Amino acid sequence: MKSVSDYKEIIPKKKWFSTLVTRIFFFFIGIGMQTAYRIDPEVKKEVDSWPETFSFRMAVVGGPSMLMLKKGGAFQYLGEKEVFYADVEMWWKNITFAYLVMTGRISVPNAVYHNRQFVRGSLIYTMSIIRVINVVQTLLLPNFIARFYIKEVPKLTVKKLVNRAITYFNVGYGAIK
Amino acid sequence: MFFKKNVVIPEYYEFFNSVKIISGYKALETIPFELSRLGAKRPMIITDKGVAQAGLIKHVVDSFGGTDTVIGAIFDETPQDSSNVVVNQIADIYRAQKCDSIIAVGGGSAIDTAKGVNIVITEDTDDLLKFMGNYRLNKPMKPFVVIPTTAGTGSEVTMVAVIANPEKNVKMVFTSELLLPEIAVLDPRMTVSMPPKITAATGMDAFTHCVEAFIGTQKNPICDAFAAAAMELIRNNIITAVKDGGNKDVRLAMANAALMAGLAFSNSMVGIVHAVAHATGGVCHVPHGIANAVLLPHGLEFYLGKADKSPTTKENIESLLLHAAGPEKYVQTPPAERAAKSVAAIRDITGELKKLCGLPVRLSEAGVTEDKLETIAKTALNDGAISFSPVEVSFEDALGVLKAAY
Repeated sequence: MKSVSDYKEIIPKKKWFSTLVTRIFFFFIGIGMQTAYRIDPEVKKEVDSWPETFSFRMAVVGGPSMLMLKKGGAFQYLGEKEVFYADVEMWWKNITFAYLVMTGRISVPNAVYHNRQFVRGSLIYTMSIIRVINVVQTLLLPNFIARFYIKEVPKLTVKKLVNRAITYFNVGYGAIK
Repeated sequence: MFFKKNVVIPEYYEFFNSVKIISGYKALETIPFELSRLGAKRPMIITDKGVAQAGLIKHVVDSFGGTDTVIGAIFDETPQDSSNVVVNQIADIYRAQKCDSIIAVGGGSAIDTAKGVNIVITEDTDDLLKFMGNYRLNKPMKPFVVIPTTAGTGSEVTMVAVIANPEKNVKMVFTSELLLPEIAVLDPRMTVSMPPKITAATGMDAFTHCVEAFIGTQKNPICDAFAAAAMELIRNNIITAVKDGGNKDVRLAMANAALMAGLAFSNSMVGIVHAVAHATGGVCHVPHGIANAVLLPHGLEFYLGKADKSPTTKENIESLLLHAAGPEKYVQTPPAERAAKSVAAIRDITGELKKLCGLPVRLSEAGVTEDKLETIAKTALNDGAISFSPVEVSFEDALGVLKAAY
């Protein structure tokens, strides 16, 4: 029989690849939201309906996160900034769940239905944020991929293509910066 | 996982409910023991005037006879739409009377108010607003017992409370597993005095919970079992409960059905019917049960109209016929007609209830005016339930459902 000292602490391995993919996706979503506020009237209307100072955080429990702040007429992506409180927080329960969603293997609506994520904060603002994220996903992703992420993909228009190009440029610029 | 559809067992689901359920004749008499088990000896009763005037509190007080438990206070002035002001007022009484637990006796309003009081006492605050929303609560609550006096809301087993804040003009929604009571007590004495129209409306509220849980996006085998059993109980008992309110067997069956419907929908979630019904209640003050009863068939028809986008929902509505109309009707109906017959079966029940007690079957009969429909549709889009709809719901979709129900 083993003695007490034979029992060692076990440190689970880091899921560095899943974490990296999720971090990149958070960066895309963050810059995408910031850009969409400037160029998409639907997103602007939603964000303008939130209180003057409003923060939104998307995070993985024990993993990466992203913070958005609405303040002084701007909607800014603040990166992986640690905060004690955000008005609405959208949490993935595990990095694996976030990774499966980010790689399109579980759609965002399904992740919600499965309770693989949870929201902390006002439900009314959450609904508005979900609508914003849906628009951002249609800006970031080609329609044939976007259908894995949202329930109904809107028709592609010239305006949408232009906005998508602006979003890609901003994401690229943000990455270099 | 990729492209997987139409699975019988969901690839993933969660189910949670920690409430001890006590159901039956003289069930109230077990409360003193259950409280002592939780270390409580001085409960506060929270109820409303209607419940007190119906003499129902006497049954609860009598159940403590011959025990060493003392009732710290009885608050019987909970209004229909409770507010943070009332919650703080009750909390002051709770503290002054040195109570150690809460018993809610009533419908959704009394139960939600008691949940609010529990937050204020546990968090030692007078500002509920700080705790509004999902998962903002962290501390274990005071021992909490719920005795429903209606058979509909299922609030005795749900983790949600809605309390108004008149100063800020918002309806504060609180969601946390910590809000669940320790014990739910179903005693037929508590529902026998319910008037026929309220019996019908609350019964249809419970039926709507079952239907939306059964066809919803978080549908799972455990919720299905509760929803199916509850639908059968409601189908077999709702008409008798309305006709013969004093029948305790029927009342107990309906109370159990409402509780099981609560267990089902609080885990499976609801959809467009509830989103639009919440908005209808908020804008036009239509009682929730009536709004659900009116909107349920139209919500199902909306889903059937979008069957190409969510064929699974259509299949679920087809299966619904077994529970909404019974096995005989189900086997006699060709598969292609089952979805439409499910809707028709629900209309048969509401039509019968309309004849018996005047339950509205159209929004116009429930006091909604046509000029309010757009506001209701807009409000419905901000309701949390809409995100659990199997298909995307636009403003036009919500308005279409409302117009059809008008």
